[in-house]
Amino acid sequence: MTDDLLKAASRALRDETDDDGADGRFTRARVMASLHQGRVKRRTRLAFILPIAACLAAGTAWGAATGRLPAMFHAIGEAVSLGRKPSEPAPKPLVPRAPRKQVVDDPPAPPPEPAVVAPSQAEPEVVKTPPSAPPPSAKPAPSSSAAFQDTDGDLYRLAHEAHFASHDYARALQGWDAYLRAAPSGRLATEARYNRAICLLRLGRDEEARRALQPFATGMIGYRQSEARQLLDELGPPKP
Amino acid sequence: MTVSGLVLSPTAPLQEASEDEQDLVARLAASDPAAVGEVYDQHHRAVRAFASRLVGDASAAEDLVHEVFVALPRAVRGYRFESSLRTFLISIAVNHARHHVRAATRRRAAIGRLALEPEGNSQDPEQIQRRKELASLLTRALDSLPLDQRVAFVLCEVEERTSREVAEITGVPEGTVRTRLHHAKKKLREALSQEGLG
Repeated sequence: MTDDLLKAASRALRDETDDDGADGRFTRARVMASLHQGRVKRRTRLAFILPIAACLAAGTAWGAATGRLPAMFHAIGEAVSLGRKPSEPAPKPLVPRAPRKQVVDDPPAPPPEPAVVAPSQAEPEVVKTPPSAPPPSAKPAPSSSAAFQDTDGDLYRLAHEAHFASHDYARALQGWDAYLRAAPSGRLATEARYNRAICLLRLGRDEEARRALQPFATGMIGYRQSEARQLLDELGPPKP
Repeated sequence: MTVSGLVLSPTAPLQEASEDEQDLVARLAASDPAAVGEVYDQHHRAVRAFASRLVGDASAAEDLVHEVFVALPRAVRGYRFESSLRTFLISIAVNHARHHVRAATRRRAAIGRLALEPEGNSQDPEQIQRRKELASLLTRALDSLPLDQRVAFVLCEVEERTSREVAEITGVPEGTVRTRLHHAKKKLREALSQEGLG
C-alpha cells in the first residue's frame, strides 16, 4: 500500500461525503424539538425545585431564628431512620397521601423495612402529585405543548412532503422517524407509523415493513386494517 | 480519547470577534432557538461532512449533527472566540463522536457479516464505483483505529486541515497530532494491504 493509494482513498472519502445533498431540514427540526423539550424539562424542574428550596430555606431560617434548628435536624434524622430503633413504628409520611392511582402504580412498601421506604415514597408524592399544584401548573402546559406541536407539525409536514410530493421514500422514512422520535404518542403518530411502514415497503425493506404493518393488520392499532392485511398478503410469508 | 475542547496555545492571538458574532454567541448561551437555527443554517453542511467522514455512516452522522447542535447552547459558554465558530462546532462533534463511531462500527461489522451491504448504483460510471469502493474500504479500515487516531486522520488527511488547526480542535499539542497521524497512517496502510490493495 503506497502513500498514493492512501491519499486516493482519503480523497475518495472526502468526495463521497463532500456534499451528499442531505437535506438538513429534518435534523434541524429535530434539534429544535430537542431544545424545546430541554427548555420545558428545565422549566418543569424549576417549578418544582424552587418552591421546595424556598420552603427548606424558610424553614431553616425560621428554625435558626427560633432556636429550634437542632430539634428540626433531629426530627429529619428520625424521618430518614437515623438513630431509630427497628422496633419503632414507621413515621407517617409528612405529605398528604397521593391519589389512589399513584399508590397502585408504585408497589406497596414491605412492612419489615418501612423506614427506608417512607422517604422514597414521600418524594414522588411531593414531586408528582402536589394536591394544590394542578391549577397553577396546568396553565403553562397548554402553551408549551402548543409550541411543541408546532415543531412536531413541521416535522410531520416535512415527512409528508417528502413522501407524497417528492416521493423520496428514504427521506420520508427519515422524516417519519424524526417525527415519531419527537412525538411518539402525538396526534398524528398513528398515521406516521403507517406511512413509515409504506416507506419501508417502497424501499424494499420487506422484513421491517412486515413488522411495521403487523400491528395495523391485526387491528391492534385500529387504522387501515384491511389495507395493511392486503399489503402483508402481497408480501407473502416471512422469510425463515 | 478525551478531548477537552477548544484549547489554544498561550501564544495564540485572540481573534477579533465582530459585534454580530458576539451577539450571536450571547444569544446561543441564552439558549435562543433562533440563534441555534441561524448557526445550524450556516454550518450544518461542514459539521455533517465531518461527521460523515468520521463515523462513515449517514444516519449516525445525522445523529451526531443533531447532538452537536443540541449541545451547542451549553458548550458555547466555554467559547472564547479563539477560533471560528465552525471550528468550535467541529470540536463539539469530536467530543460527542465516541458513541456514534462505536455504533456505526458495530453496524458496519454486522452488515459485513450478513452480507447485507447495499449494492452500488449500476448506473454510475466505473470511476465513481471505484471511488465508492475506496471510500468504503477506508471507512472500514478506520474502524480498526482508536478514536484519537481516527479523528487526527480524518481532520488532517480527509478534511485537509493543518496540524495546528487539528490541535486547536482536539485540545492536544501539534506534536501529539502528528504522532497520532503517523500511527493512523501506518495502521491504515496495513489494514488496506490486508484488503488486497497496495
